[in-house]
This record gives sequence, C-alpha cells and structure tokens, in this order.
Amino acid sequence: MEFLTILYFVYTFIAFYFLMIYIMTYFQNRKHIFETIEPDKIRSLSIVIPCFNEDKNIARNIEAFLASDYKGLKKLIIVDDCSTDNSYEIIKEYAKKYPRVIALQTPKNTGRAAGAKNFGIKYVKTELIGFSDADSLPNKNAISKMIGVFNDTKVGGVTSRVFVNNPKKYLTKIQAIEYKIIAFTRKLLEFLDAIYVTNGPLSIYRKKAFDQTGGFDLNNLTEDIELTWHLVAKGWKVKMSIPAIIRSYVPKTIKTWFHQRIRWNVGGIQTIAKYRKQVLGTGMLGLFIMPFFVLSWFLGLTGLVFLTYRLTRYLMMKFLVAKYSVAAQVALVSMEDFSLNPSILFIFGIVLLSLGLAYTVVALAHSKESGRIIGHSILDIFIYSFFYLLMYPPLLIVSFYKYLRGYNTW
Amino acid sequence: MLKSKKHVLWEALIVTIVIFLAGLFLGMLIETSNSVEISNLFTQSEISLTDAMATSRLVEDFDFDCEDIKQNNIKFANRIYEEAQTLEEYEASGKLTDSMKLLHKKYDLLRTLLWTSNQKSLDRCENYNLIVYLYEYNSEDTNKKAIQNVWSKILLDVKDQNDNILLLPIAGDQDLTSLDLLMNEHQVTQLPAVVINNNEVLYEVDSINQIQTLLN
Repeated sequence: MEFLTILYFVYTFIAFYFLMIYIMTYFQNRKHIFETIEPDKIRSLSIVIPCFNEDKNIARNIEAFLASDYKGLKKLIIVDDCSTDNSYEIIKEYAKKYPRVIALQTPKNTGRAAGAKNFGIKYVKTELIGFSDADSLPNKNAISKMIGVFNDTKVGGVTSRVFVNNPKKYLTKIQAIEYKIIAFTRKLLEFLDAIYVTNGPLSIYRKKAFDQTGGFDLNNLTEDIELTWHLVAKGWKVKMSIPAIIRSYVPKTIKTWFHQRIRWNVGGIQTIAKYRKQVLGTGMLGLFIMPFFVLSWFLGLTGLVFLTYRLTRYLMMKFLVAKYSVAAQVALVSMEDFSLNPSILFIFGIVLLSLGLAYTVVALAHSKESGRIIGHSILDIFIYSFFYLLMYPPLLIVSFYKYLRGYNTW
Repeated sequence: MLKSKKHVLWEALIVTIVIFLAGLFLGMLIETSNSVEISNLFTQSEISLTDAMATSRLVEDFDFDCEDIKQNNIKFANRIYEEAQTLEEYEASGKLTDSMKLLHKKYDLLRTLLWTSNQKSLDRCENYNLIVYLYEYNSEDTNKKAIQNVWSKILLDVKDQNDNILLLPIAGDQDLTSLDLLMNEHQVTQLPAVVINNNEVLYEVDSINQIQTLLN
C-alpha cells in the first residue's frame, strides 16, 4: 500500500472517530441538550465587563444586563481600559443612575481584555463571578438559565450559547452558521466533561474556583481558553447552558476576521504550549481535551496538504494534457478520462462528507432562531462547508508562523 | 443532575473500528472481484494468443490469405486493448491490493508475445501496420504522464482512422526479459517510444499526420 494511502486512512479514521463521538453523544443525550437545571438557591453574582472604545455598544450592553431576570445579580462592574472615546462617560452615567453598576477605569491601558478583567476582579465579593464583552447582548433569562449548574459543587464554570447579532453582511451570515455549530458541538462535549473554552461574551464561574486559577493569564491571547483549561486542570467541571443565549457582534470584514482568527489560533497554541506537560496525564484535559485539540489541528493541516497536493497534481496534469493535446490536434477530453469505478478512498471520503453535512444540518436544526427548521439557505451552508471551513488550515499555518515569531498582540 | 458519559469515547472507537474494517473488507471484496473478472478475461486472451501464435507458425509453412491473418490479428489486438482499458480503470480504483499490478504485467507479457508472433506475418503480409507503443508505467513525472496521455490519444485516433492498424500499448518498464530483449533489438533507448512496423522508432510524436506518413 502506498504511503499516501496509509496516511489517508489514518486521517479518515481519526475524522470518523471524532464524528462518531459527536453523533453517538448526540443520540444518547439529545433529550438533555436543552435541559435547564433549577437553582437550589439564589447565588450572588457579579458580572465584570471590560470596555475599550465601545461607546456605540456599551449602553445597550449595560441595559441588557440590568434587564436580566436573575435576582442574584448584585453588581455590574464595567472596567474602562482608558478608552479614547466617550465610553467611560457613558459608564459613569449609568453608575450614577443604577447603584448596581460600578464604573471603574484602569490606571493605564492594559492593551487586552484580560488586563481590564483582572482589574475588575478585585471588586468582586460575590459567590459567583461572570464575564461578558461590552458588545454582547444577553437574553433576559440568559443568566438565570446558567446558574442551576452550580448546584453541583464540583462545577467551576458555565458558559452560554453565542448567536451572531444581526447577521446582514455575507461574512457575518456564514459566521452565524459557524457559531451555532460551535455551540452545539460544545454542548455535546459537555456530556464528556470536555468543554475546552468558556466563551468571552458570557461565562460565569464559582468565585472559589476562579480564585484558584489566579485570574486571567495576561500573556495569553485567548484568556478564556486558558482559564477553562486551568479550571479543568484543577479538577473543576465546566458546563454549558444551551438555553442561555447572548448575541454578539462578529467581524464584518475579511481583514478583521483574519486578525481575530489569528489571535484565537495563536492563543490556542500558547495554551497548548503552557499545558503541554499534561498531555495524556490524568483527567479529561490530558486524556481528551488536549489530544482532541491537537488532533483537530492535525486533521485540518493534513486535509489541506492532501487537498493541495492532489489538486495541484490534477490541475498540472490537466493543463499539460490540454497544452499537448492542442499542439497535437487531438481531443482535449476522451471517454478514457472518466472512471466509473470509485476507489475505496473515494467512498470513505463521500461517507465522511455526508456524515459531516448531516451533522451540520442537525446542529443548525437545534439552533433555531426563527420558525424555520434550519434557518439558513442551502447556498450559505454549502459555502460554509466547502469554502469557509477550508480557510481554517491556512489560518493555522499563518498562526504557527506568527506564534514562532513571538506574536502577542491583541 | 446528568452524569458524564465518557463511555461514549470507547463506544465510538469500537463503532469506528467496525465501520472501518467493514469498509476495508468491502474494498478488498470489490478489488478481488475486479481482479477475478480481469483474470477470466486474461485466460480467454491467453487462449486467443496461443491460437494467434499457432496461426503465425502456420504462416511460415503454408500460403494463407493475408487478409485473414490481418483480420484475426487486429481483432485479437482490439480485444486485449479493450480489456486493458477495463484493467486500467480497475487499477486506478484499486488501493488495497497489488493484484491489478500483477495482471497488468501479465497483459504486457501477452502483448509482447503478440508483438513477437507478428514479426513473420508482418514480413509476409504488408496489408496491415503494427504500432507498438512503449510507455513508462511507473513514472511519477507529471510531464511525462501528460505526454503519454496525449500519445495514447494520438495513436487511438490513428487506429480509428485506419482499419489496418494493430496497436499494442506495452509498459516498457515492467522488468520482462523478453520485452527488454525486443526493445534492445529495436534499439529503444528511452520511454515513451513508438515502434512502427518494426522499422521506425519514434521518441517524439507531434501529430496524427506524422504517424500516418510512416504507415503502409
């Protein structure tokens, strides 16, 4: 058997295995996906929101949190990271009007959300501590849907489901699909105690658990991933509440999207590098989350190499055949060029692709925003599946390069 | 409170292994079935070749009609050409076993035998043309593969335009002693090459016309 064939089988096997984990987890737990646990008591909660130049969004963000139906929300701590616009003035206005709102400002710009968050933590005295982004809008019941998981004393954190706010531009529409699939997948991973990130738009932690981590890592570009791994490494469980919905703005241009994804990937690499010694160690972090994370990247990169190699050879061959055929005045295409005997590799690929598409459809069907079953056009799903996802591996390569060059800019 | 269901990791692994093994088994089954089909065709071709070789010997001793010899040889060559196309198709889809490669080699040997058996018939009867197309089977060079692809098309067009062509495509790098001897005999030094009527050896094929001018 050729080396490439063996490599292809390894690739397909790992991809099949991951997909099987999702599919079987879904079938075994589908009745519990939307389950909400009633809190056994009201737990006091403070939400810390870092803010930098968000004067267009911060007022709506504060009002959305003030409208929350959760009775235990004691403080809304908004930390302005020395904005150059009117953000801090707006925050102070709200602080004057609502005693629950605390307006803070860092002594100097920290340059990243983690800095402002760590600054705000010092003012939290409640049993639970939550974090949000200044441009995110939680549903009225989002927090109350999350709190029940803390009945389990082993739970250290809970995260919410992020929907894209007002996806009108095409790139945001595709990201809306992506966010729904990410959220659905994350929920499935919860059943395995394998959630690897508590998102920035809205996550809540047990203060005792959070304090054990020492706060957000200022050297990490994805402080939310790092914090989650830290919690899991300390033995805390991390949960996700699908009914807890928060809407967030996503990049509208390729440039900002690219920058965001590079930051996410570099942050992921930084986190793996930090916890590398725990690979295959005890607990889900070493036994599943890290290998899963690394293998997912391996799949992406191997897939890209395969595709590029095959496509390049195919196109080069077609080009040369066309060139020589024209010169020799023979037909460019003949019946011999079409094979009706697909190889086993092709069949495996088709099965994998079909299962992947079915998973995408199921994930979207569980993320209804409107009355429609899927909520997205077939074309959008097609673009997402066959073009957008192909952007992941090249981004990863660029991210690796930037990581090696010491990239650490928010 | 929901309990963690990590056992799904093992279950998924077992299901994946089962699906994979089933897929591989199915693949092997398909490839074996293809191989058996080609083997059956090959057995029939072997009989036809033996027949052709017997005819060739008779040509030496008796005065047979050249038209009959031509028809028989071309008919046989056409059949193994079609079988070779089927073989190539199966070979392209075969990823698990090497059985098709061995069958390809057997067909190359068969065509080599047909080439040798036609030497005398061709000398006596000048009413047909023998085109032996020697190509590189194990080449990874994309440019060479493209050239070979186009040569195949040119030669097939030549064959389609003339009803007196015996076209024998043979892989020249199959390590067959008889073929290597024949190639030495015709001073074939590189692949691909086209040998026309055992006289002309071409290393450049630019057009159909170039071949047509060298035919009887």
